Amino acid sequence: MSADDAENSEVTPEAQAAAEAESSEAGAESDAESGEAAPATPGPQADRMAKKADRERAREETESTEEIDEEETVHLRVFRYDPEVEAKAEPRFDDFYVPREEGMTVLDALIEARDAYDSSLTFRHSCRQAVCGSDALFVNGQQRLGCKTQIADLETPVRIEPLPHQDVVKDLVVDMEHFYEQMQAVEPYFQPDDLPEGDLEEQRQTPENREKVKMSTRCIWCGACMSSCNIAAGDNEYLGPAAINKAYRFAMDEREGENAKANRLETIEQEHGVWRCQTQFSCTEVCPKDIPLTEHIQELKREAVKSNLKFW
Amino acid sequence: MSRASKGYDRGVIEDFGRWREFSAGMWAWIFHKFTGWVLVGYLFTHIAVLSTALTAQSADPATLQAGEDTFTQTIQTLEGQALVRVLEVGLLAVAVFHILNGIRLLLIDLGVGLEAQDRSFYASLILTGAIVIASVPTFVEGAF
Amino acid sequence: MAEHYSSFARGGTSWLLQRITAAFLVVVLAFHFFLLHFVNHAADVTFLGSANRMAEWGYFVTMVLFLVTATFHGVNGVYNALINQGLSGRGKQVVKWVLVVASALLIVQGVRLALALQGGVPA
Repeated sequence: MSADDAENSEVTPEAQAAAEAESSEAGAESDAESGEAAPATPGPQADRMAKKADRERAREETESTEEIDEEETVHLRVFRYDPEVEAKAEPRFDDFYVPREEGMTVLDALIEARDAYDSSLTFRHSCRQAVCGSDALFVNGQQRLGCKTQIADLETPVRIEPLPHQDVVKDLVVDMEHFYEQMQAVEPYFQPDDLPEGDLEEQRQTPENREKVKMSTRCIWCGACMSSCNIAAGDNEYLGPAAINKAYRFAMDEREGENAKANRLETIEQEHGVWRCQTQFSCTEVCPKDIPLTEHIQELKREAVKSNLKFW
Repeated sequence: MSRASKGYDRGVIEDFGRWREFSAGMWAWIFHKFTGWVLVGYLFTHIAVLSTALTAQSADPATLQAGEDTFTQTIQTLEGQALVRVLEVGLLAVAVFHILNGIRLLLIDLGVGLEAQDRSFYASLILTGAIVIASVPTFVEGAF
Repeated sequence: MAEHYSSFARGGTSWLLQRITAAFLVVVLAFHFFLLHFVNHAADVTFLGSANRMAEWGYFVTMVLFLVTATFHGVNGVYNALINQGLSGRGKQVVKWVLVVASALLIVQGVRLALALQGGVPA
């Protein structure tokens, strides 16, 4: 290193900056080169930057000369509805052709369509990583999260519609109130029978118990399951798979206690609770978090039957 | 956000126009319901037809022996119709599917086979077909 | 109903009974079909033939049970299918009682004809 410093004191500030930049990178090679190279050649870092600029130029040139052909775009057919705009007061489908990018999701495509072509295109989205549950859509006839669905996996034209069986507010936005009501109806919060003794005492859960409820904790309230259930579509009072799964999450949590569990079972074993489930399995199929919803509902039915039989 | 209108109700989206997009579980549910309705309808009809026994019971022994009573006559006339025989094959198909899918549902209710639920539906369809085809000769014997 | 005395939740009872009757019917319906289409051909059914079968006490009881369970299973299935379709309120009450009455009539009529068949074997 001392040889470097000695050299650097003789050269111009630019070369010195370049030399200093490369001396922070590992490699004896750079020391040797900087020793010889000082004024004539700029050095490896500058070389690399030059090559990068060349590649960039070459890419831009090819991009501008290539025409946009069929394979390079994705054809979207998007449901449009806006009661406040005359042209869209009656629902219709709009066609968008967005440039295809590798790894593009439905959400990416929609955002591109909105930003580049029609800024009135309205849809919910937030985290774009399948944790917020905002962008549940009806894509090519199935309920899916927009951010989690790859365009490459879909048949074109890609039909994007709002979730079925819920009132449409505008374009792809549906009224989620009913869904939230059903979720609230099962009291989706931790309600232990007793609090632990001391102030700092923990409420413990065995790993086995955690494993049991693990999948049911994954719900992101996206509403895909309820939308896919034909019973939920026909019977407005049906709690729905998401709400029952939520009840399962707490009923099966050993930290809540027997009384809480009994109360929860009473809520979900009413006429429009678990008994409405016809094991259609659509909810399990569409859940973006892979929660085995039907299995949980079935387990609750068995629990309800067992607990009732005891009173005889 | 204030919203004057409630929102647009698009109605039942998964109507039969979209049948190609139905999943196995959904077909199972549809078929089970359909076969259920047919069987209930048949139950009432069956009891009605068999009710001819009530008038037949008071017939004299000779009539009964000869098979000339209303009960026997009704049934044999019906069984003589080719159409009735064909309908009976249909009834068999309906009943066999309802039984086989019913077994599948009972197993699901007991927590068995949830991972294979779509395959078990296809199995019950195929088995229904096999049983029906195998039974056709017996069913239409003597009517064609 | 003014008060519901049993702690057995309504939904739960009919759900369980539907399954229990289902298990019974799987066996008995298959048996009935087999007996009356394969062992005996439907075209060969006569009053006397049926009476002979019904004269056997075990068979008679099975047939009556068959009638009752099938009626319950079928009518309960229809009722639940309608609730799933959104039947509620006044309509639901009406349908429920119509179904109850229809079931009762069916069972009564079925038992009558079973007895008619049973009593029909000449001495």
